Amino acid sequence: MAILDIHQVSLSFGGLKALQNVHLKIEQGTTHALIGPNGAGKSTLLNVLTGMLKPDDGSVMFDGKPLLDVNSFDINQLGIAKVFQTPSIFPEMTVLQNVTIPVFAARDGSFCLNMLQGRRKQRPLIEFAQEQICELGLENHMYTLAGSLSRGDKRRLEMAICLANKPRLLLLDEPTAGMARHETEKTIELLRGLNGNITKVIVEHDMNVVFSLADKISVLSQGQIIAEGSPDEIKGHPKVIEAYLGEAQV
Amino acid sequence: MNQQASFWQHNRMVLMFAAVALTMPLWFPFIGGYSGLDTKIMIFCIFLVGFDILLGFTGYLSFGHAAFFGISAYVTGIMLKGYSDNILPAMFVAVIAATLVAVVIGLLTLKRTGIYFSILTLAFAEMFDSMAMAMLQEWTGGENGLTGLPTPMLFDLKMQGATVFYFSAFMAIGLFYVAKRIERSPVGLMMKAIKCNQTRLEYTGINARKYKLLAFIISAVYAAIAGSLMVVYEPFVGHEFLGWHQSGEVVIMSVIGGVGTLVGPMIGAGFMLYFENVLSVNLGEQWLLVLGLIFMAVVVFMPGGFMEAVERLKKRIFTTIDGE
Repeated sequence: MAILDIHQVSLSFGGLKALQNVHLKIEQGTTHALIGPNGAGKSTLLNVLTGMLKPDDGSVMFDGKPLLDVNSFDINQLGIAKVFQTPSIFPEMTVLQNVTIPVFAARDGSFCLNMLQGRRKQRPLIEFAQEQICELGLENHMYTLAGSLSRGDKRRLEMAICLANKPRLLLLDEPTAGMARHETEKTIELLRGLNGNITKVIVEHDMNVVFSLADKISVLSQGQIIAEGSPDEIKGHPKVIEAYLGEAQV
Repeated sequence: MNQQASFWQHNRMVLMFAAVALTMPLWFPFIGGYSGLDTKIMIFCIFLVGFDILLGFTGYLSFGHAAFFGISAYVTGIMLKGYSDNILPAMFVAVIAATLVAVVIGLLTLKRTGIYFSILTLAFAEMFDSMAMAMLQEWTGGENGLTGLPTPMLFDLKMQGATVFYFSAFMAIGLFYVAKRIERSPVGLMMKAIKCNQTRLEYTGINARKYKLLAFIISAVYAAIAGSLMVVYEPFVGHEFLGWHQSGEVVIMSVIGGVGTLVGPMIGAGFMLYFENVLSVNLGEQWLLVLGLIFMAVVVFMPGGFMEAVERLKKRIFTTIDGE
């Protein structure tokens, strides 16, 4: 069953057609990679899914519910979390506080007037946040300020934030951009180890990452999907080679 | 045992503040303070602790909080004069009125961030100031201020001297406790997250706008309580209560004391009022100049205000103890 159904989505910035009639179905529980040359519209598509950009045309359904004209925080409450290209965390807070926020968001919804709630009622949630942190291997940094973590650990923390309110769909915008080889390997391992029920959409330039994670790949070029298939099918696809290397090379 | 220990740990600051506040009439005269000034300090502690919920937690710098302080003061005055000299209905109506205004201003100004937010709040406060001076002159007394108020009463108790002081001090202690509770609550965490990374917060399923509005309203309620108490303390309302000067003073007190620490801004308030009213006599006409220098020194060398100095001192003491 398709958990995410993108239907004829188009979006232009002035004269630039960033997305043209994009059709995409993401199957539940799969890892779906979006690849394509720079400026193909991959990040734009992710921004449409998180409510940051409103397309001119088309519809997006997540688990049978429309996603367009919905606020970013409501989209997250529906079960879609996004991992940014540069880890987006709360730098002046401790790692534990960082992860407690989504845990509260899962319990209380997008707004709750529990402004006098004491520690006792918060304790089970804080303990859950601690478990999440341990699961991602940050247990030694529980009370470290998030801003002082290493880049790799910041990425882990961001993943912990995203996973703490149990999303069903995880959007990853170049999770290994700018990472050293061993950090990339670690991230691949981390993503592989995630709960299999979580559907993942990953935008990535590093083909090593794409081919070791993806069940299915869609190739975007100039705002259009030009090819779709399993990693093996995509590897030899003439249109893909053309989009990446230019016509002369074919 | 454990629970007792955590009660002490969580409320250490509140208990310390209570001890300092309630004994103030005993020690304040020895450092040159006069009775009445201590009451004013308590009232400003309320204003500042509320202001820190907005500025310290969410990072939104309002230059218009005098509006809520002033509106509440005027409404209190008008109620005392026209309805009853009992302060309870007057304070109640005043705080409600100022809160309603805060909801409207908050909804409009919080659409913007940074300097635009500050300027919008300043503009609204100035609007109310000019309204009090002209349009509503009949009610507010315009340039002369609202005068001829009866002695405020708490049922049969005359609100004068020490009574007003203890009334204000207990209010300040209670409201400081509430602020500390808010800081420890999930709401406090969300508010602080707004200052850190609003985008991430929205992408984590939190409606940041509502939390900002909540912080704005809470701080306005604190300002309104303070404004109302000012009239109980001194039955007179001047239009300067509403002015930008008042708003600016609150910001300076916060910065000197230490933004975001709750207790720091209260220390800042105490220091500023003490400086303005007591030390200024010794320093003569140059007192404002000295105050300016102190402000600059704090901003340049201790951006965390007095509380940063306290933290540094603590660290130094503890490291020397550990070193030995």
